[in-house]
Amino acid sequence: MHVGNFVKKLAFVITTPPSSNLTATAINMITAAIKSNLNVIGVFFYQSGVLNGSEHLALPNDEYQAHLEWQKIHSDFDLPLHLCATAAEKHGLTDDINDQKMTNINNAFTLSGLGELVELNVNADHLIQL
Amino acid sequence: MSQTDKSVAIINACAPFSQANAKDSLDVALIFGSYEQTVSLYFQADGVYQLIAEQQPESIQQKDFLKTFAALEFYDIDNIYICKNSLEQRNLPAKFCIDNVQVLDRDEFGMSLLQHQTILRF
Repeated sequence: MHVGNFVKKLAFVITTPPSSNLTATAINMITAAIKSNLNVIGVFFYQSGVLNGSEHLALPNDEYQAHLEWQKIHSDFDLPLHLCATAAEKHGLTDDINDQKMTNINNAFTLSGLGELVELNVNADHLIQL
Repeated sequence: MSQTDKSVAIINACAPFSQANAKDSLDVALIFGSYEQTVSLYFQADGVYQLIAEQQPESIQQKDFLKTFAALEFYDIDNIYICKNSLEQRNLPAKFCIDNVQVLDRDEFGMSLLQHQTILRF
């Protein structure tokens, strides 16, 4: 994985909701990559993937808690989690409910434009979508 | 943003109006194009329906975003490939809503994808 002192940089695109097993696979892959000392520079959530950033998810206790895993990855590794702003609005996620600056997005996530996806692709050695 | 020699392939594999995938994919393509990134579009499986001319999405309350394909050249998105096998399986003629579509058989289609550093699929 290492070429000389050069550490590979990875970025991820997530288009699947928290209920999808592809999301669990992505979380496992990202965690494994970080623990293997690869440099994961960011995750971009698009389409139904933005639902991972909802503050109000309540999954049954005995089910996989994808949204909590993202929050843990963010706090443990300071990994930037970008929600596509347009997709977020389409899915009812906003940081300005009723124009009153209230949010229903978890604070581990940042609202970003699609341009952020381009930035991640330029800056990463590999952009990975599951 | 730094210049990059990376090229991006966007694979479209969904029919245009069944989900939002086709529109979401086009939005991504146009953003990469507007940031002067090298983008190629690939259409396979039900994605081939996206390039069929004279669709009437208004009749199912859908906006006709397919007409935006005509603007791809202004974003320097000139490489557009469609899978011949997918067309044949659906008994569709190689007549498309834009001019510069290249029809590739399955092997050529796969080989062509190998040249790209990033592949996104919608």
